[in-house]
Amino acid sequence: MTTMASIWTLYFHASSFPHRTLSREVQFQRYLGFACNCKNCSRRSTLRKFTVRAVKDEVIINNSVKDTAMKPQQNPVAKFQESVSSLPLLIFKTGKYSGTSFAVGLCIVATMLIIVVKGYAARKSRYNRPGSVADLVRRGQLRSDRRGISTPLKYEDPFNNPMVKVSKSNSSVEMCGKVYRLAPVTLTEEQQSVHQKRRSRAYQWKRPTMFLKEGESVPPDVDPETVRWIPANHPFATTSSDIDEDLAQNNVYQKHGVPFRIQAEHDALQRKLEALQNEQKLNKLVIDPAAARDFERPLKSHLKSGDQVEQSISNPKLSPNPPKSDRAHNSCEQNNL
Amino acid sequence: MISLQPLTNPKTSPLYCHPFSPKTLKKKPRPLTVHSLLQYNRKPQLSGETPRVVVITSGKGGVGKTTTTANVSLSLARLGLSVVAIDADVGLRNLDLLLGLENRVNYTVFEILNGDCRLDQALVRDKRWSNFELLCISKPRSKLPLGFGAKALTWIVDALKGREEGAPDFVLIDCPAGIDAGFITAISPANEAVLVTTPDITSLRDADRVTGLLECDGIRDIKMIVNRVRTDMIKGEDMMSVLDVQEMLGLPLLGVIPEDTEVIRSTNRGYPLVLNKPPALAGLAFEQAAWRLVEQDSMKAVMVEEEPKKRGFFSFFGG
Repeated sequence: MTTMASIWTLYFHASSFPHRTLSREVQFQRYLGFACNCKNCSRRSTLRKFTVRAVKDEVIINNSVKDTAMKPQQNPVAKFQESVSSLPLLIFKTGKYSGTSFAVGLCIVATMLIIVVKGYAARKSRYNRPGSVADLVRRGQLRSDRRGISTPLKYEDPFNNPMVKVSKSNSSVEMCGKVYRLAPVTLTEEQQSVHQKRRSRAYQWKRPTMFLKEGESVPPDVDPETVRWIPANHPFATTSSDIDEDLAQNNVYQKHGVPFRIQAEHDALQRKLEALQNEQKLNKLVIDPAAARDFERPLKSHLKSGDQVEQSISNPKLSPNPPKSDRAHNSCEQNNL
Repeated sequence: MISLQPLTNPKTSPLYCHPFSPKTLKKKPRPLTVHSLLQYNRKPQLSGETPRVVVITSGKGGVGKTTTTANVSLSLARLGLSVVAIDADVGLRNLDLLLGLENRVNYTVFEILNGDCRLDQALVRDKRWSNFELLCISKPRSKLPLGFGAKALTWIVDALKGREEGAPDFVLIDCPAGIDAGFITAISPANEAVLVTTPDITSLRDADRVTGLLECDGIRDIKMIVNRVRTDMIKGEDMMSVLDVQEMLGLPLLGVIPEDTEVIRSTNRGYPLVLNKPPALAGLAFEQAAWRLVEQDSMKAVMVEEEPKKRGFFSFFGG
């Protein structure tokens, strides 16, 4: 760890004093010299490489192809340096980070990400358990925003909607990306009665009970304000009352049975069927195969004839039987007729 | 005049606002629960005498009566209430289109009056929600005598009350535009009215007239739904605010429905907005309006769009 700390310190100085190349080079050599005292002599080859690169304000990490002849390092720091040096070529123009620190940072970020993902997965699985607090949230007994649960509520109640967020401090409501303020209604009972009086004065109206056509006179016992005149060209005007009011009222209140008209039609159909059955023609309504063949499609008859030809070719013994039976059947039917 | 200052008090909940009246000057103001913002996870309590016959009207056409009828009625059905929706537009039937039931309408009230079918045969039950039924007045080419429709609809609603499976909890009547015979037919059996309007002056004038006619006809329980609200235009003062609309009409607010393109898509699909998952904003608003209709409640506050607060540097970390 101390060596790591010294590495970070070294780089900080190098970046803050970019012009002092000589001093940097010397410091670098000093560090690496210190490192070399406790390590193998084979590190001197790497010492030279690092020296050259530090001068240019850029840190270049080469592939370890040239170092393959070196003996394997037992020191973990050296091993780490080897692994870093085996990384592909990377150039950092800022001059702040080297390959090792980048890898360290990457590892830290990856670790944090894994922790966050694991925590999220654990929290999610905890709240999806049956009988957990999530059920209370879903039922509306607990508010999800107070508990910090990120998943929205399922829509079961029109008034417990995740799209509507009410702020705790003031009367504003956030809904679908817009902010609204609650403005209370100011209509009082007195104002309502004032409006009702105004309308009763303005709109004097009586329900029309009498509809008259052109030329008809108003009956003496009828209030003229309840009379409406039907123009001759009105689309729904009828010249005479086609519907009997009493009959219509009875039809509306009918609960059981079939309406009269349907019953009448049903009886008429029943009688017609009986009449047809009594006649002799009903008995002769049999499907005539010969007649059926006439109504067949040409394709089917063609195919059938083709099939018969094929059958006759394949089985010359069987071919005469079907036509003979058909002929016999036809002769029987003709005798019956 | 209700003061807004207590709303910023960190001690009070955002759901409360304090009413201010001369009588309570000396006493501490009681916190008033804002019901319009959030409701708790419970079913609404059905209030009023069932069946509740509600007519949805507007006067002006195209403000969203049929859309409101379809969505509110399905919301009520989803809350477990039995609903019958009646399309009272003689000649221009489109509630079945919005609900996606156009291929299942075989019989209408016209056939019932003629004796071609019974009332239960003309009711189209929705397969998605079995406690929702649709009844259409007539097919496009049939004619109903003027003045006769009002009686017919009253008989129909009366027959629904006395049917064997029990009276429905709600009968919603989709009123046609205008104030002529169709309007008179639709409002005949109604006890309550929902007035649908948009925040523009033409719609408001017609709505005011219709409200006057409803009150003359004896319907006193009238609530308002302001449809197609654009909060961005209200913020830019290009559109009247909902409170301005209420000041002009003097009616309690049942709901505020924001402008939503999902309305057109739901019409095209024949799938009402309230059934969307995830829900649309307009669908949420319709559901809340249905909630208030069941409880005979009205809105106590409306939402006004504001500038979003500027986030600090540390807001990235969830602050």
